[in-house]
Amino acid sequence: MIEVRDLKKQFGEVKAVDGVSFTAQSGAITGLLGPNGAGKTTTIRMIGTLIAIDSGKIKIGNVDVAADPDGARRACGLLTDSRGLYTRMTARENIRYYADLRGIDPARSEKTLARFVEWLDMKDILDRRTEGFSQGERMKVAITRALIHEPGTVILDEPTNGLDVMSTRALRDLIKRLKAEGQTVMFSSHVMQEVAALCDEIVIIAHGRVTAQGTTQQLLEMSGRDNLEDAFVVLAGIPDEQREAA
Amino acid sequence: MATSMFATILTVCRKELVDHLRDKRTATMIVLLSIAMGPIVLFGFAQFISSIEKKAEAREVFVMGKENAPQLVNFFARQDVTIKDPKPDFRDLIKTGKHDPVLVIPKDFSEKFLTGNADVELVYDDTRQDSGNVSIGVLRRLMRGFNAEVTNQRLIARGVSPQIAKVVEVRDVNMGTPAQRAAQLLFMIPFITLIVCVTGCTAVAIDMTAGERERGSMEPLLMNPVDRGALVTGKWMAVGIYGIGVVALTLIGFAITLKFLPMPKLETVMSITWLQFAGFGVTMLSFAPAMGALQMLIATYGRTFKEAQTYVSYLITAVSMLPALTIFAQLKDATWQLFVPMLGQLMVITRILRGDPVDATHFLIPFAINAAITVVAIVTISKLLTKEKIIFGRA
Repeated sequence: MIEVRDLKKQFGEVKAVDGVSFTAQSGAITGLLGPNGAGKTTTIRMIGTLIAIDSGKIKIGNVDVAADPDGARRACGLLTDSRGLYTRMTARENIRYYADLRGIDPARSEKTLARFVEWLDMKDILDRRTEGFSQGERMKVAITRALIHEPGTVILDEPTNGLDVMSTRALRDLIKRLKAEGQTVMFSSHVMQEVAALCDEIVIIAHGRVTAQGTTQQLLEMSGRDNLEDAFVVLAGIPDEQREAA
Repeated sequence: MATSMFATILTVCRKELVDHLRDKRTATMIVLLSIAMGPIVLFGFAQFISSIEKKAEAREVFVMGKENAPQLVNFFARQDVTIKDPKPDFRDLIKTGKHDPVLVIPKDFSEKFLTGNADVELVYDDTRQDSGNVSIGVLRRLMRGFNAEVTNQRLIARGVSPQIAKVVEVRDVNMGTPAQRAAQLLFMIPFITLIVCVTGCTAVAIDMTAGERERGSMEPLLMNPVDRGALVTGKWMAVGIYGIGVVALTLIGFAITLKFLPMPKLETVMSITWLQFAGFGVTMLSFAPAMGALQMLIATYGRTFKEAQTYVSYLITAVSMLPALTIFAQLKDATWQLFVPMLGQLMVITRILRGDPVDATHFLIPFAINAAITVVAIVTISKLLTKEKIIFGRA
């Protein structure tokens, strides 16, 4: 479970996150939906201990992120839009590096790796140097690397950005599999269809605040619209004149 | 899953070593900078010295208008000096460094010689630092010898002892040992090796910091539950190992060149012992890693490899300028220099080369300074890696 309470973060004059609160339930998939610049990435980076919290509280399971950042780093696996790999090393070496840094027993990390290789169909790329990997191949390696410690909580920031259809499908399947294993999954997106197809619950963020939270059905009812796109536009508080563009 | 700091340091260091050994850019730098440096520099240097010695030995001088002064030509011949005719446009050629100095004898030399007020012209360009300077010395010595001989003859002809014209006789006693002269000539070896201490690990230091930021691998790396100090220390260890490795290769390159290249002229000046080489090694053992740490710190501010390269080049320029400062300021060896990176190392190594005494402080003070630089750099980088501007600031 991820609990976020009244989270705030200001960069200079800009209030990037302005009192965000939500809960991502254990064993469920929670979607963080919002237009670009809504504060999704900043929120996720604060959960992932990469940005210090101005005020508010974040808990991953029983771990208070601000008080025990290393505990939080063990408790969750985070994939941000920084998915840089070491291009002179093979995919396996890239993943092994993170397993070693986390002090995971090699036999155990090999087992975890084998699972991901099967799920993400990485057999052919595993022992190739990552130089020249496609976006999709890079994502597969990066996500395996981020989850090699088998965290109970998985957080993905815009994971499908820049991916082709096949890679997107592979990723969607992975998210479903993680849920089936009982993991808590949270991911952000600005694509409604994606969120609607996967998520048990959706949190809509706009202008650094949560404007709505609920299941797809609940969100439709709240907005009084009959399709998700309109519901999102209404609930994100996008003014009428911009709705055409959104 | 708890990892000790030591395990983290080792993991990071091992990964960086393997990663960069596979880097063609690093490999090229190592080969170009270190292995080839010794042979190239020393070979060029040997050519220069032997060309000087050849000129001094050959005793060939250029004289314009030798037909005007048979007495002088006769004297030159008795001194085993060969007279050569200069090219017609020698004055222009001397200016551009394409002609050796020329002695010009005017048409009325013989006439004036009899009355005792003859003059000759010595044409040269003292702004040119080439081997032509040797010829000036030879010509001056010859003219002094000729003057002395004629004076003696004239004094004897008048019944006066030549001794009277020699109030004080000056005899040259050069206290510089051959080793000291060699040190003057060989200042390039320490200078180049010290520069290599800085430049040898530049590419690696930048790639591990700014490079990591540029390729977007810094952010996920920092998501691992590891101490940032340990992370930076591991990277620094890899940089240090590269730095020391490149310096060692450079010294070995020099050593092999000195030992095996057929340079008979240099044997006498370039007799560096293995002990001296060991002294260089010890001096640079802490200097190279400290400069690596400093470059890592500077490069951490760079969002891209290129940007960091620009920042680091300021340091490299500054470090290269310091030795020039000692020459211009005519610095004598002093303890304070030991506290200044680069100056201290240069002083110690020059002392070793010159055969001057070297004691423990010559090694300990620079070592302490280098250790301090390293610690400050590592702590500062670790702090920087908690700053959002550094982690996320991408070009």
